[in-house]
Order: sequence, then structure tokens, then C-alpha cells
Amino acid sequence: MSARMESSNLIKKKICLLGSFGVGKTSLVRRFVFDEFKDNYLSTIGVKVTEKIVAPVLDSNHKPIQYKFLIWDIEGHDKFNTMIRNYYLGASGGIFVADLTRPESVQTLKKTIAVFQEINPRACLTLAANKRDLYEENSEESIKILRQIDNLKIHYLLTSAKTGYNVEKLFYYLANRL
Amino acid sequence: MNNTCEEILTIQGYGLAYLSADRIIISHNSTFSGFAGQHLDESPFIENIIPEVFGLEKPLAKVASGEEKYLILENVSRQIDESRELFLNISFFHLSDQSRPLLCLIQDVTNSALQKQKIIQQKHEINLLKHLSETRKKFLSSSLLGNSPPIKEIRRLIGKIALIPNSTVLLLGESGTGKNLAAQVIHYGSRSSDANFVEINCAAIPENLLESELFGYEKGAFTHAIKSKPGLLEEANGGTLFLDEIAEMPLTLQSKLLSVLESRRFRRLGSNREQEVHFRLIAATNRNLPQRISEGKFREDLYYRLNVISIELPPLRKMGQDILLIAGHFIEVFNLEFKKEVQGFTAAARQKLLKHTWPGNVRELSNCIERAMIFSEKNMIEEGELVFSKESVNLSSRWQIPATGIDLEEVEKQLILSALENSNGNKSQAARLLGLSRDTLRYRLEKYQID
Ligand SMILES: Nc1nc2c(ncn2[C@@H]2O[C@H](COP(=O)(O)OP(=O)(O)OP(=O)(O)O)[C@@H](O)[C@H]2O)c(=O)[nH]1
Ligand SMILES: [Mg+2]
Repeated sequence: MSARMESSNLIKKKICLLGSFGVGKTSLVRRFVFDEFKDNYLSTIGVKVTEKIVAPVLDSNHKPIQYKFLIWDIEGHDKFNTMIRNYYLGASGGIFVADLTRPESVQTLKKTIAVFQEINPRACLTLAANKRDLYEENSEESIKILRQIDNLKIHYLLTSAKTGYNVEKLFYYLANRL
Repeated sequence: MNNTCEEILTIQGYGLAYLSADRIIISHNSTFSGFAGQHLDESPFIENIIPEVFGLEKPLAKVASGEEKYLILENVSRQIDESRELFLNISFFHLSDQSRPLLCLIQDVTNSALQKQKIIQQKHEINLLKHLSETRKKFLSSSLLGNSPPIKEIRRLIGKIALIPNSTVLLLGESGTGKNLAAQVIHYGSRSSDANFVEINCAAIPENLLESELFGYEKGAFTHAIKSKPGLLEEANGGTLFLDEIAEMPLTLQSKLLSVLESRRFRRLGSNREQEVHFRLIAATNRNLPQRISEGKFREDLYYRLNVISIELPPLRKMGQDILLIAGHFIEVFNLEFKKEVQGFTAAARQKLLKHTWPGNVRELSNCIERAMIFSEKNMIEEGELVFSKESVNLSSRWQIPATGIDLEEVEKQLILSALENSNGNKSQAARLLGLSRDTLRYRLEKYQID
């Protein structure tokens, strides 16, 4: 499909992945876009935008509609200077990512969500509680983390970039609600 | 903007485009087309050419109207191919020209981004370490990398120490074995990320300064104390104080330190107000402390106070095949830094690495690989490219001054020229070869008027 044809049918949407370092933002994008996973860790610097055309979904009037996601994989951050805030500009969706093995990765999200919402009040939000494969269901630690996530009062899914668990579902949650 | 400015920017390598208020590209320089790739003739709108601009319509309208002066997207990454990544700063500035009120500048900032990458990477890895179980540990940081029994034991110990946040730790080991890194791993493994890691090298600072650095002082405490200054003890409160080369600490200060450790209280110099502090003390030395005690140079009571938990970092020569693992890690690091694609070592080079005794340990290994990679043109490092620092030390001790004397400045100038030649004019690399910082080298270049 040529670029010109694409742009006539597809609706572009900017989606940001946000969260602390090492939680799995890059890995979630890689799983969703290329269906692959790497064990080694390379910290993201700045931002990397990856495009992905998602399968058609039904809009609020039950008409089929197709999106091209511009997925912004943003470097891990807990602070919000202008450089970071500029990355947020004009986003239609936000995926906040927490690491189920690190409680502090949830704590910092509270501020991240607030800043993102202030910049994009109408954006659709969801949260990925990632590294599901490492999480031991009944351990006290895990229950504590889940309770914290629940307290953030936004939609969330347990995901694993490693196994692929819930990764498609995460992005389609947004596609169905934009 | 006038033509001169435009020319300067073009010469400096900036991509440059003028846009209308509704973001249509009106004109651009050739560097810009380089960054835009083949999309340039697909659409007149900048967001169709630079995908990262999509979504910025409203903020850009503000820049076009002059309500905002500029908008900058920093470190936007582009994958060129499998191994190469480009980083760009994409900026928009307001111009007071109605027909083209927006100037888009694109600057290649790959070098600085990769530097940042390297620094952040290590910090994050250290931070992540505490959350990874033994089997999943992919800890890349050089000196704690490895599978040999001594290094595994150290990782196990560090994991345990992290659970006891205020206990004192004594790190022993030859110089270059990574005591500083181990201290950081302990710190980041046990403290929240905002707790301070404060370090000072006791051998690098004159005695009286060391005391005021540690304890801080009040205004007027001594002649040059024109204003009060908190000391490192205060800075380390709630975090970690790392005293490197503790054996070199003067005896008088040793007793003051002991008293702080016991009472958890101290006073700034020139103050009579006691303050309470809580920190973890990590001390390190490559000296034999019991021997220093018998020589009367180290306090026995302080030694016992420090030696609650001690960790001995193994010398590289005892780490067997781990040497190759660590060397491989440095290849990855320097590939990033020098934008090379070195794959590994030839069989003979591997043997040479394994046979060497590494008196300078990991630091020596790092220097050796760095040097080899600066010169290496092929994708495998060869035996001959590995030069050990011992050889170069021998070399320098063989230098003799001729009876007629020398002109030291001239020799220095020649050495700088030769370093520049070896590194094809790359100043960072030349500085490294000379053991100078970039700034020092720049200063000398100016001094000798070398271009
Ligand atoms: N077991 C497991 N590991 C994961 C998962 N997702 C990511 N990881 C690992 O966690 C580490 C960090 O993942 P990244 O995707 O690079 O994290 P990031 O959020 O992009 O990190 P920054 O770019 O520094 O912000 C890597 O070693 C990944 O392999 C997961 O679902 N399960
Ligand atoms: Mg990342």
C-alpha cells in the first residue's frame, strides 16, 4: 500500500508509553509491533516512534474504522521537565507501565498520570502491570502491588512482554475507545 | 532570519526548513532532505515527513503566532539499520515573517545521546539489580560480571548486605578490582533511589581539607571559611558514605570518625551544635590493615568497627574465563562509544587475555580493550592490538634524558601531535591516549596552537 493510499483510509493516533526505567515499555512495543522479545536491557534515550497499523475496530456508531498508531516509546522517567512534557503533547492515548516486581515503579505513576492528563485531558488511558511472568500470585508483595495499582483508579491489565500475555489486548483496549 | 545565519547553520550540519503557519514546507536545505528521507515529495505537510511532528499541531500554532517562542523535541531516535541508531533534536522557532513564521531545525545529536545512554544504562542496571533474582541477573556492570565462584559469592553477599541498611561494610581488594562499583551496587541495592551516595577518596585530599570536607564548617571556623558549608556526613544522611582508601586517613581523623560511628553524632568545625546522622559507611582499601595497625598507622578500634562485614574483591587473574566475558562487555560499551562494530577477539587474542596477570585488574582490562578498539580496523581484535599497561610502563621507564637536556614543552607538543595522528584527529580519543581529560587537551592544544 502506498503512503498516499494509507493516509486516506487510516486515522493516525499518537499513543505514549510512560513509566519508570526498566519496566518494559520498549519490550511491550517490540512484542506488539514485531512479536519478539529480548532478554537484554538497553535503556531508551529520548523517544523512539514506531508505527503500527492496527486491525479495524468499530467506532461508537458501530462503523468500522482503522487506526495507524504512532507509538511513542519514551525514556524511563520519574521527573517531568519540559523535555519530557513535550513528548506528551498531542497524544490520544497513554499506556502507563508498571513493573510487578518493583513497587516504586507504581508509586511514581501517580504523578505521571496526573501530568499526562493535564496535558491531554481527553486522552484514553490504560495501565500495563508488566512482567506478569515473574510475579508470584499469592505472595504478599504482589498483593500489595496490585492494591497500589488498583488505587490509581484507571483501567489496567496484567501483561507480559516476554510471553505476550495480554499485550494485544492492551493496545486494542485503546483502539476500541479512542 | 538572514542568509548568513542560514549559511552558518547549514555549515554546522543543521537541517533547516521554513514552514507556513499551517505547517506546509516552503523551502529547505539539502541536509533537511537527508533527514526527511524519501518522504519529502509525498506531502507538503511537515507531519507527513517527520512523523514525530504529528500531534503537535496546536503547540506549533502557538509558535507560529509568536505566543510561544519555540518548541523542542530532544533525542528523537531513528534506527538506520540493525546496529545503528541516529538521535535528532527537532526544534521549531518563531520567525517574524508572516509568510513563513516557523523555522524547523534538525540537529544530529547522536554522540551526546550515546554518552547519556552509557551513563544511564549503568545507573539503571545497578538499580534493577536488587529486583532480579539470582538466575535472572544479567548484571552487565563490568567488575561484578562473571560466573566464577568468587564473583558469584560476592553477588550473594551483596544481596544479603542490602537487607541490613545501616551496617558498615569494608571492601578489600587490589586496586582496579571495582571496589567503588561494589559500593554503588550495595547502595543502590538497599536504598531508595533518592538517597545520596556520597564518596570521597581519603588519599586524594590533604589532611586538613579532608576533615572540613567530611564534617563541614561554620562561617569563620578558619581563615578561608567565608561562609558555612555542610560536610559530606550531612550529605550522606539517610544514604551511604563511601570512604575510598581509608588506610590513608590521618590518625587524628580516624578517631573522630570512630566517634561519629559510635555516637551517630557530630559537629561542624567551628560549631558547638551536635547533629545526629544516620548513614551506611562503606570503607575500601587495597592495603593490609592489620599490618598498618602494627605499624601504628591505623587505629585498631576503628578497624574492628569497620570490619563487621568485609568483602574481598577477587583480582582478575583469579577469575578464569570471566576475563573473556568482561572483555566482551567492554567491546559492547566501546562499540557504542566509538561507533564501531567489533565482534570479538581472535583465538590468539583470547589466549593472550587469559594468560596476562592483570596487575591493574578490571581497570587495566578496560583500558587495554579501549586502546585496542581505538586502533582496530577489523571486526576482530587481534593479539598484536592488545597492549598491556605493564608494557607501556616499562617503555616509559626506559626513556632517558639525553646529556644535552630536552625541551619538555616540545616533547609534550610532539606527544600530543602523535596522539592526534593515531586517533585520526579525534580529540576525545587522543585525550584518552594521553590520559588527559578533553578539557585539558583542549587547553594544551590552544597553548601550543595546534589546530
Ligand atoms: N520477565 C520479563 N522481563 C521483562 C518483561 N518486559 C521487559 N522485561 C525485561 O526488563 C528489562 C527492561 O525492559 P525494557 O523494555 O527495556 O524497559 P523500558 O521500560 O523500555 O526501560 P527504559 O527504556 O530504561 O525506560 C529488559 O531486560 C527486559 O527483557 C516481561 O514481561 N517479563
Ligand atoms: Mg525503553
